[in-house]
Amino acid sequence: MIEPKFEAAVGMSRKWDAREAGREVAHSAIEKLSHPPDFFLLFSTIHYDKYGGFQEFLNGVWEVLPKGTPLVGGTVAGFINPQGSFTRGATALAVSYDDMDVAIGIGFKTKKNPQKAAKDCCKMIKKELKNSLYKNNLLFEFISGGKIPQFPGIGRRRVIKSGLVSKMATKLSNFSLKVLQYGVGREEEILDSLSHELPDYTIIGGSSIDNNNMKENFQFFGEKLYTNSIVALGVKTNQNVDINTTYGLKETGIKIKITKKSGHDRVIHEIDGYPALEGFLKKMSWPYDFIDERLYRKTFFTPFGFWKEDLLFPNVIGLILGKDINVGYKIEENELHLLSASGKSLINAVDENLQEFKDNENQLGIIIACAAQLEALGANIFTVREKLINFFDEVPFLLVYVGGEDTYSAKKGKRHINESFNVLTLSKNLPAN
Amino acid sequence: MKDDPIAMVLDDLLKLDDILACIVARRNMISVMPSGEGFKPEVNRIWDVIKRAMDDVFTVIGQYSSAGLSEMEFRLQDNEVLFYVFPDTENALVAIVPALANKGLLEVEMENARREILKIMEISEKEKLIATA
Repeated sequence: MIEPKFEAAVGMSRKWDAREAGREVAHSAIEKLSHPPDFFLLFSTIHYDKYGGFQEFLNGVWEVLPKGTPLVGGTVAGFINPQGSFTRGATALAVSYDDMDVAIGIGFKTKKNPQKAAKDCCKMIKKELKNSLYKNNLLFEFISGGKIPQFPGIGRRRVIKSGLVSKMATKLSNFSLKVLQYGVGREEEILDSLSHELPDYTIIGGSSIDNNNMKENFQFFGEKLYTNSIVALGVKTNQNVDINTTYGLKETGIKIKITKKSGHDRVIHEIDGYPALEGFLKKMSWPYDFIDERLYRKTFFTPFGFWKEDLLFPNVIGLILGKDINVGYKIEENELHLLSASGKSLINAVDENLQEFKDNENQLGIIIACAAQLEALGANIFTVREKLINFFDEVPFLLVYVGGEDTYSAKKGKRHINESFNVLTLSKNLPAN
Repeated sequence: MKDDPIAMVLDDLLKLDDILACIVARRNMISVMPSGEGFKPEVNRIWDVIKRAMDDVFTVIGQYSSAGLSEMEFRLQDNEVLFYVFPDTENALVAIVPALANKGLLEVEMENARREILKIMEISEKEKLIATA
């Protein structure tokens, strides 16, 4: 009997026109396959919003892609593929393989009711895959990331120094999240539900984002475009599914104690009994002058982190509202460690991660990395690509830079974090079921 | 200028929201400009002072390019000027960006532009050699 052939291909487009880019990204991926794709992961930078719009982009894709191909994806800050490293353009991963069952799912209004969105999404996938006989399960998910709310009279800002305005902004943020769906992405709550609903899956995914301005993001599902949603691809296969997370972060030895927090544990009011911002600056020995919109160039290298069940959870500062510090996701412990990264340590995390897969017969690599790392590394991501090329050689791979990274496996636990580098591989199949 | 492939690379860069201006230049000389509608209007009010500061930076580039100087940048008022030097030359790809831009993301596309321009330069050199052979 002839063993089914696993085929994967990565396409891309740098065209500016949305429809043309859609056509090209689909064509350049599927032309390398000898069979129609069984699924199609599609990613784009935010630029097509201004050059024809994302519905046109999707229309272009579907002019080429065989009707009915399961497709999910969304906007990302940048990507690395065998063709290069980019922060503008579109890329796609097409996979064709007989020994695999595939389903896609979607859930809406993730910022208002993340648990319901996750359940709805899982329901679609479970229903479609319930009769599958394959034992290895993979879920790729993509969730609408945080969007910075527009505060009246201030616009979209990450640092608001005025105490009065910031108090108003803090009060408005709950209304903004629930009603307008602007604010934090609540991805950790979604991942909780996903891992509860699909405990025997290996999950990898991330938060959809724009060009790190966090104004807007979009998700792709079949032929349609959404925002504030979760889209996911479920795969059951005989291929091995392996996952690994690394950081490139070191503990500085500086610990801070949160003495007051609120906003579902995402807003820090006090550090060591001081107003949060003052407490943070004291610990870092930073002058108050550092607090401006450029602060993020520094804090990308110095995230907070907490330990939970032997896992590190790095968390980047999201907003500074007066004396308060808002972080990207729930802080579950009151003792935080200040972490530090350098360009070198972030790049070393790539090698460290890939070592885990060196003995596998890898067929495909899907990599999720933090957009904060992209902003921190800049053009040094070309070195990341060289390392990936050297490791994967002829094996197709795709890395996307996202607003927050999600991983789960029964063995390694569950994490929605920032500043991480996550690799998932499918490797040569096990004996037939 | 319209068919100049380097100008087309610059056109692509200039389409990015946070690239206010971009050129290929050396000291006291702009070699290639975008072929389209020109720089974004925000640049006009500070162009003269930026141009003078750029020329001073090009003096340094001229001195250290052969020693491996590959990138330089300076901040002037609310803008940053990024220099991506073409190896072993006194030429650089220069971009003016807002000081608050997400510079890491822009750097990736600057590097792509530098690589594309280098390829165009190499092809052009080869064609010249063939023509004179």
